[in-house]
Amino acid sequence: MSRLVIVITSLVAVSASAQMCRARASWPTTAWPEALVNRDTKAAELKALEDYAFTLEGQPEERKGFRTNGLVVVKNGAIVYEKYARGWDASKRHLSWSVAKSISSTLVGVAVQQGLIDVNDSVCKHLTDYASDPVVCAITVKHFLEFGSGLQWQEEYEDRSYQVSSVIAMLFGVGRRDQVRHVLTHRKLHEPGSMFAYSTGDAHVVGTIAKKALTAKHGTDAFWTQLFDKLGMTAPVFEEDISGNPLGGSFVYATPRDFAKVGFLMLNDGCWADQRLLPVGWVQKATAVSDTFRAARGDCSGTKAPDDTFQLPCEDTPNGYMWWLNRPPAAGAEKPWKDAPDDTYAALGHWGQRIIVIPSEDLVIVRTGDDRQGSIPVNEVVKYVLPVVRP
Amino acid sequence: MKTLRSMLVVVGLAVSACAQDDSKLRTYDNNDLELAVGNAAKMTCTCRFVMQMDDAYCRDWVRASPNVARFEVDTTNKVVTASSFISWTARAKFVDDKRGCALE
Repeated sequence: MSRLVIVITSLVAVSASAQMCRARASWPTTAWPEALVNRDTKAAELKALEDYAFTLEGQPEERKGFRTNGLVVVKNGAIVYEKYARGWDASKRHLSWSVAKSISSTLVGVAVQQGLIDVNDSVCKHLTDYASDPVVCAITVKHFLEFGSGLQWQEEYEDRSYQVSSVIAMLFGVGRRDQVRHVLTHRKLHEPGSMFAYSTGDAHVVGTIAKKALTAKHGTDAFWTQLFDKLGMTAPVFEEDISGNPLGGSFVYATPRDFAKVGFLMLNDGCWADQRLLPVGWVQKATAVSDTFRAARGDCSGTKAPDDTFQLPCEDTPNGYMWWLNRPPAAGAEKPWKDAPDDTYAALGHWGQRIIVIPSEDLVIVRTGDDRQGSIPVNEVVKYVLPVVRP
Repeated sequence: MKTLRSMLVVVGLAVSACAQDDSKLRTYDNNDLELAVGNAAKMTCTCRFVMQMDDAYCRDWVRASPNVARFEVDTTNKVVTASSFISWTARAKFVDDKRGCALE
């Protein structure tokens, strides 16, 4: 009998610890505490970082090199470094581009925590206005979270003919008025969950699923009341198309300090001010190599369409639930960011937008920029920041 | 007028060439001018009214190729109208402080 009591007590204790949030001396809901690095003792490290990140090349109209607009570093829950350039300051909201995808994923996590979404739900359960096609209804929320919808998608930007870009057609062309409909009318190219294909369209669907679930319970401002306001984000913007679909793959705007709060939420396992906003295990799942990515790895020939009409790029950086991971893409391969700790993960956006989270360093790095000729590498940002923040 | 016609021919040839290179991919019924004005209207609207950067910064920020879009900014109503040549026009409007700008 006493053994049974011990077992039950242990199970209860394990369960409780899984639910518990990490204790913090304070939370930056109202404002970030500051503990700036000493500019004298870290002079060399700071010079190296700023020479790399803030030195401009050529004439402004040439748009050369890395053009950093903001860099904020949070260590142990306090801002230890912050710098702005090119007309930007701490009060200005910056375009996220694809960092929005990771935020959309996090909003789905909020809805899962509240019991409004199960990731194994069919998309048709949530997008009732759009989805009745059996092909679409076979796709789950999880498939979209993992860039594994299987729908044909050509994620091309400025460097290719605009007429073949699914994303430019969606944002600015034929699909712009109802961007979710644009995504869901693409043909099935692969079985859902069998092929990783980076897609702003998939992320738009994820954002819209989150909106439908959360607004049904909390009203039209649910993204703000259920997440952004709880983090104390000052004035985030989440744009929509004229049909009311949130543009969750591209168009979120926030200050760098506010983007750092999204990273800090992830760093704290989905907890904020001792309240659990994301389910137990969500962050672990969102930052582990996804089932879809693992299904497709090591076989780039598999990125061809069955009818041989289409070839997806072979992605070298693993992904979880729309977070990029510093994990080897295949057995025997190297991790993508060799100078960053293994547990590093990141939200990455066009033109060099970054939220980088390193749990083992209790570190969040936010970088905003306007890199038109190749985005600043995650590895180099981490490589130059770590000496600044380490003792 | 001769210059305009020449430019259209160049754009048409470029589109045609690209379409041939990408013949196995899905293509969309957009032309470069339509996309250029849509991009200019939307991105100028968000640059000015969401990111709250100044006119000079935003003109450089939205500059795209082909750089054929002209636009007008109505700061009172927070509307940006972009146009190119005769028939291509796009309009983006600031909705509110949470939802930023939408391209119509």
